[in-house]
Amino acid sequence: MKTMGFTQKIILGLLLALGLAATAQANVGGPAWDKAPNKTNDMGALQNGAKVFVNYCLNCHSAAFMRYNRLTDIGLTEQQIKDNLLVTNTKIGDTMTAAIDPQQAKAWFGVNPPDLTVIARSRAGAGGSGADYLYTYMRSFYKDETKPTGWNNLVFPNVAMPHVLWQLQGERRPIYEELKEHDAVVHVFKGWEQLRPGSMTAQQYDQTIGDLVSYLQWMGEPVQNTRVRVGVWVLLFLGVFSVLTWRLNAAYWKDIK
Amino acid sequence: MSETLAPSGKVDDSKRTWLIATSCVGAVGGIAAVVPFVSSFQPSEKAKAAGAAVEADISALKPGEKMTVEWRGKPVWIMRRTPEQLAALSKNDPELADPNSERKPTEQAPAYARNATRSIKPEYLVVVGICTHLGCSPSDKFQPGAQPSLPNDWQGGFFCPCHGSTFDLAGRVFKNKPAPDNLEVPPHVYLSDTRLLIGDDKKA
Amino acid sequence: MAEFHEISPNAAAGEKLLNWIDNRFPLSKLFKEHMSEYYAPKNFNIWYVFGVLSLLVLVIQIVTGIFLVMHYKPDAALAFGSVEYIMRDVPWGWLIRYMHSTGASAFFLVVYLHMYRGLIYGSYRKPRELTWLFGCGIFLALMAEAFMGYLLPWGQMSYWGAQVIVNLFSAIPFIGPDLALLIRGDFVVGDATLNRFFSFHVIAVPLVLLGLVVAHIIALHEVGSNNPDGIEIKATKDANGIPLDGIPFHPYYSVHDIFAVSVFLMVFTAIIFFAPEMGGYFLEYNNFIPANPFQTPLHIAPVWYFTPFYSLLRAVTTEMMYALIACVVAGAVLSVVKIKMASLFKGLIVGAAVVIVAMMLSIDAKFWGVVAMGGGVVILFFLPWLDNSAVKSIRYRPSWHKYLYGIFVINFLVLGYLGTQPPSAIGSRVAQAGTLFYFGFFILMPWWSRIGTPKPVPDRVTFSAH
Repeated sequence: MKTMGFTQKIILGLLLALGLAATAQANVGGPAWDKAPNKTNDMGALQNGAKVFVNYCLNCHSAAFMRYNRLTDIGLTEQQIKDNLLVTNTKIGDTMTAAIDPQQAKAWFGVNPPDLTVIARSRAGAGGSGADYLYTYMRSFYKDETKPTGWNNLVFPNVAMPHVLWQLQGERRPIYEELKEHDAVVHVFKGWEQLRPGSMTAQQYDQTIGDLVSYLQWMGEPVQNTRVRVGVWVLLFLGVFSVLTWRLNAAYWKDIK
Repeated sequence: MSETLAPSGKVDDSKRTWLIATSCVGAVGGIAAVVPFVSSFQPSEKAKAAGAAVEADISALKPGEKMTVEWRGKPVWIMRRTPEQLAALSKNDPELADPNSERKPTEQAPAYARNATRSIKPEYLVVVGICTHLGCSPSDKFQPGAQPSLPNDWQGGFFCPCHGSTFDLAGRVFKNKPAPDNLEVPPHVYLSDTRLLIGDDKKA
Repeated sequence: MAEFHEISPNAAAGEKLLNWIDNRFPLSKLFKEHMSEYYAPKNFNIWYVFGVLSLLVLVIQIVTGIFLVMHYKPDAALAFGSVEYIMRDVPWGWLIRYMHSTGASAFFLVVYLHMYRGLIYGSYRKPRELTWLFGCGIFLALMAEAFMGYLLPWGQMSYWGAQVIVNLFSAIPFIGPDLALLIRGDFVVGDATLNRFFSFHVIAVPLVLLGLVVAHIIALHEVGSNNPDGIEIKATKDANGIPLDGIPFHPYYSVHDIFAVSVFLMVFTAIIFFAPEMGGYFLEYNNFIPANPFQTPLHIAPVWYFTPFYSLLRAVTTEMMYALIACVVAGAVLSVVKIKMASLFKGLIVGAAVVIVAMMLSIDAKFWGVVAMGGGVVILFFLPWLDNSAVKSIRYRPSWHKYLYGIFVINFLVLGYLGTQPPSAIGSRVAQAGTLFYFGFFILMPWWSRIGTPKPVPDRVTFSAH
């Protein structure tokens, strides 16, 4: 028995070390991702996010696997969905398709705007969760006259997407500082310069993006909150069941000498 | 084995207690585990969306004309009956199996269609065009008078080619035919004089 | 041929039914042979639960798989969408999907632990070699099953993982490119590939798996289970022919296994309900992007359970080939000099070595990487004949053997970790050292397993009452 304890100790130690090593990896290339606020349990934030999504994103991006009527899960009634979020000729049971024609989009942007249904699940990485990426991305656009759309992005350089929410955030430019590092000149990002104000303050914009990103996070897996709730009950049940099977086992094994 | 069970009652009791407890809780857990799998057989959101109510524009229907609309994969007939056709309906009553739509009252017709014309608006008949025998779609036989396979006093209606069942212009089945029931009236509601919603009877 | 047994008409209905069946089908006989009168050693420890857990996970995968196939569409244009359909539109579809994806990883975890038990207690030794061989066959079939199943969601990882692995086959000399074309059914991984992988994953390989599992258990029951002390309990029987250290599987181990299943299900459901993605290891992030044949993701890695073998593949670079050639030469020389055998065999060994070295010099390292990866699995089949130790179980081996096994485990885990990472200079070297250790552990086993003095093995198992 001592030996197995030894082996098990080694394995355990190694697993812990691996876990640490994996999480300690720096995000190679690109700025660090800010932590997105988690509002997936805040119905108000999710509803606001849904509104922003429908008004700004659905013009070019589809969410082809998301049905409008699922929005009742975040506290909206079917009437509210029909009045505020449905475009003409869509029924409440339909999926959220983009207004744009994919061929035209490819012609205009060079690439078809990706479907956003599970975007929050696909963008996770070493730098953080998918929501963190999206939160940082949507707040990293800046004015760049050299680009066809007039916009660029710190997190996704040369992105084909324009800054759709520019009217809310206004126009900004990143400020760089030149540092000499080992005989090489390195440009380090220092902060933002607001060129023209938007209709929102920075704090309001951040909050709006937080709502939008939480909505995207929710839309990636609408059942997530239910999943956790059901899980608690399942685990409680299995806990009780395990106690019973443990005692059942003991009742038989006490015969064995 | 040499080491065997101690045959005292105490040991047997504790085994039995835990066996019963574990079995009961286990059975509950087992049933709970089966529920999601069986539920997955239910119509999905996609099926429910596809089965949603369908809107029909009846503005172009002239008296004596019938149009067909698809709802849940089934043909739904909307027929605008002429005054003569409506007047002739009661003549069929003695020959009909269920003239007052009393058989299967909740299945074949909603309350607003259990009347003489089996409709909300007397002129417009709205029925599912599927024979209640084995599911073929009957053909139109609107011309009154004797015709092959039809009685001499035929007032106009529908004739199912598969096994010969006949229905009148209110979708009511004739006696002694293979089909047991009148044609089904689906839930429906008039959104306006020209817009008919089939599949739902609650106004938006 | 059993005698037809007449039962009294006054007997209970249940008894009569059982008698009717027993006269026509060996139900009670099978139950006795494999459960109530199958005598298993009483000293099983925690390492012995992983067999029944493997069986449980197999059943879970089959049942959830059956329900997933009701909604999944094996068409390149529809597959990705059909998985999201299951997650959103099918009632409880999300749970069935998560059970299946978690089950896949759970299967490998449980099987690796099950194999580890076999390794440390010498469960593969005579007379259980065939049980071990069937088990290795199951492992191979499981890897094929998982690989093909992973293509089905048709995400970026699915697509590119399949593309890379199928392209490995093209490294085989002469027949490679044609073989890859045959496997794919097209010039690149596409709809044709998806459909045939679907067929294999849903029916062909599961049938093979079931057959192998049945054979595995029958072979085990024929000779009886091993135990942590490596003692053959059938060597000491009582007056009735029952092993003194044996206890009937049913009810003792059936009840014990229900407890183990219960605890396992707690871990399993905790993952399903609280962390189904498991940090991107069970459901990879890139797989939430639909497959794009024109864009490879920045970082492709196989799913975690393949990574140790993937490391073996990547370790074989052109440089490494020289080290391997040196090993082949050294091996040939040592065996010819040290082992007593007929001159004919010595000649054959030298000849074979010359041919192999010639091939290693002329064929690309890419091919040998594939050989190493495959070899890493195939070498397991030979274990019963590589182990020359006088004792079965690690408990009675010389102490330093324990450290060797410990290092083997750590090495395997390190190889696995390196397989998840992009290649790096240091990582490469470590993987190469790890590869040499992995193969050395097995290939040199006939020699090192005999070194040292084992501890005396008792006649009766070590057991303390619960």
